[in-house]
Amino acid sequence: MSAIDSPAMLQRREVLKRVAWLMGGAVSAPAALAILQGCSAKDAAPAPGAAAKYKFFKGAQAAVVTAIADAILPHTDTSGALDVGVPAFIDLMLADVYDAAAQERFNKGSAEFEIAASTSGKAFLDRDAAARAEFVKESLEKALAAPREGGKPFILMTRELTLLGFYTSQPGISENMWYQAVPTAYHGCVPVAQMEKPVYWE
Amino acid sequence: MDSNTYDAIVVGSGMSGGWAAKELTEKGLKTLVLERGRMVKHPDYPTATKDPWDLPYANRITQETRHRKPVQSRTGYPTPANQHWFVDDLDNPYVEEQPFDWLRGYHVGGRSLMWARQSYRFSPMDFEANAKEGVGVPWPVTYDEIAPWYDKAEIFAGISGSSEGLPQLPDGHYLPPHDLNCVEKDFQARIADKLGRKLIIGRCANLTAPLTHNESPQRGTCQARNMCIRGCPFGGYFSSVSATLPSAERTGNMTLLPDQIVYELIYDDAKARASGVRVIDANTGKTTDYFAKVVFLCASALGSAYIMLNSVSSRFPNGFGNDSGELGHNIMDHNKPGGTSAQVEGFLDMAYTGRRPNGFYIPRYRNVGKDKRDYLRGFGYQGRAARANFARLNDSTLMGDELKKAVREAGPWNIGMTAFGEIIPDHRNHMRLDPVKKDKHGLPLLIVNAVVRDNERRMEKDMLSDAAEMLEAAGYKSVTVKSDNYNVGNSIHESGTARMGADPKKSVLNKFNQVHACKNVFVTDGSFMPSFGCQNPSLTYMAFSARAANHAVEELKKGNI
Repeated sequence: MSAIDSPAMLQRREVLKRVAWLMGGAVSAPAALAILQGCSAKDAAPAPGAAAKYKFFKGAQAAVVTAIADAILPHTDTSGALDVGVPAFIDLMLADVYDAAAQERFNKGSAEFEIAASTSGKAFLDRDAAARAEFVKESLEKALAAPREGGKPFILMTRELTLLGFYTSQPGISENMWYQAVPTAYHGCVPVAQMEKPVYWE
Repeated sequence: MDSNTYDAIVVGSGMSGGWAAKELTEKGLKTLVLERGRMVKHPDYPTATKDPWDLPYANRITQETRHRKPVQSRTGYPTPANQHWFVDDLDNPYVEEQPFDWLRGYHVGGRSLMWARQSYRFSPMDFEANAKEGVGVPWPVTYDEIAPWYDKAEIFAGISGSSEGLPQLPDGHYLPPHDLNCVEKDFQARIADKLGRKLIIGRCANLTAPLTHNESPQRGTCQARNMCIRGCPFGGYFSSVSATLPSAERTGNMTLLPDQIVYELIYDDAKARASGVRVIDANTGKTTDYFAKVVFLCASALGSAYIMLNSVSSRFPNGFGNDSGELGHNIMDHNKPGGTSAQVEGFLDMAYTGRRPNGFYIPRYRNVGKDKRDYLRGFGYQGRAARANFARLNDSTLMGDELKKAVREAGPWNIGMTAFGEIIPDHRNHMRLDPVKKDKHGLPLLIVNAVVRDNERRMEKDMLSDAAEMLEAAGYKSVTVKSDNYNVGNSIHESGTARMGADPKKSVLNKFNQVHACKNVFVTDGSFMPSFGCQNPSLTYMAFSARAANHAVEELKKGNI
């Protein structure tokens, strides 16, 4: 609620009022686009990773999830999960969006994940990046091969949230998809060859 | 007292109330519009220009929202981008004797802000069905009588679509149609060829081109953002907030009061007319009476019938205008028993740009022409084809650069569609007032009891299997039928609670939406529908609201009301 009444939002309202007035006149869509995009860039939320305090994670969970997210989407020549604050995003999703059953499944699964790593040679967090990635990949393979009982297992939950957090962040979208705040029109049949990146999903 | 007296009162500011307000004020009536929820003004829509990364929780419904809005959350709608348009269920309870999804928003604009904008005419077949089949009561209005009002509604609102010459789905006045994408065109050609079925682009209230009139200077064209449900600062789709209410406002004849809960019609025994309405202020609890020569109830099918049932007098001991005993009965919606989807191979060299606020439509073909089924009426499909997004890689082992590379390539095509089936009126499907339980304003709770019955159940088999048949005939793979446990109301098309008819013994309203027994009260929301077709109903509400308002003005001039 507070976001709606923030000064930034009020300012946006003023801008929009002007846009809407102009729309009745002859303002071009690209001009409106510029106004709106300028507006949203200014208002873009800070990366959620800024806060180190977690709402849901306990014990080593934050470190484990951070390592898994980094293994799945590392920083390469483009942004990675940790650049956009995916661990904090996952923490918030677990705390505020997931229900009690999913939370419990996550907690149970994260403990099992750590035990599995330890019993197969070395504690997960004591491994180097390559070994962590290898163990994450093995865990994914096992989870995908196993019969599914009562919802997604921990490693697949963490993967899903990693992808969701990253590919809904500004760098995740703008570096990997063609997102237009104001596309102005829909074209139903466009050769992919004309598109540098896949169009932003809805 | 004078300051509380108007020529007309309109209860509700959504799809039908906006039209009533526009028509009444343009004809010179001083009109009071009473809205139970908060004020919304174009173009102040708080989330309308938020980019995906501006929305918390990746725009997923939170547990807090599920707690406060358990009914509204039965749909996927109350996300952080939209949840402010959906009522707080804890503050606005009702009693479900049978599961009933009452999805609604209490604010100026009502559901005209959140609607899916699909805009179809009912056909002569729909207006004639009850009479031919002996179901419910015959429509007292023919297609030819309402057609000019469909014209008016389409031209003012701005409906995009294609003319097809189908008798079961009459053509209207259309702005240019949206494109079908490559896979939708393929599907269109294949089901026409193999099964003789027609697929068209949806007809929707989005401005694919400028309006053909100059009455709405505040509206611009659709920008293909597909964020309509948040409210559109461009005025790219029709809502009462963007279109009809600004027209009413410009006349200088409208007074719009938010936060005013109308709970009762005041009946004047001596004059045998309604003299006005009683209102509770949603914030202060203060009650006020407002008076007018004519009252329009446009508070939604359950909302308007609620007010009428709660308006008891010596003349109307069973609810206002309820001589027939049909008030609150015959609740309909559109049956939606599930969805069907498939994977489409190929077309990987083609995609689309922009976000289309629309999909394809397969008009009703069952019980049309020579087709005869073991049930009455029929259904239509709404769907779309799209390329899969990154979520297709949730259950994969790709990592690092391989994963990033895969996401940067558009995924395979998939296609999905949902059937909307006609529900026939049944007296047993009803609402009434709880004799004991009250809400926080001290008003009786609404009880709803409506289910789908034999005819709908028989139709469901075709609704699900025909979709699979079409997708298979098109050669698509992994055809999946997902049957849903549909609750009445879930299509957000609840209707029928004060049906119109020629016979006052069997209906509540006459052919001009006037209460048979009290001619200065009009009900023009979904309440009036004696049958429901399988088409989305809003355009029909617009047409009947405009026609009723014009009739009211004529009758006032003649001194008949």
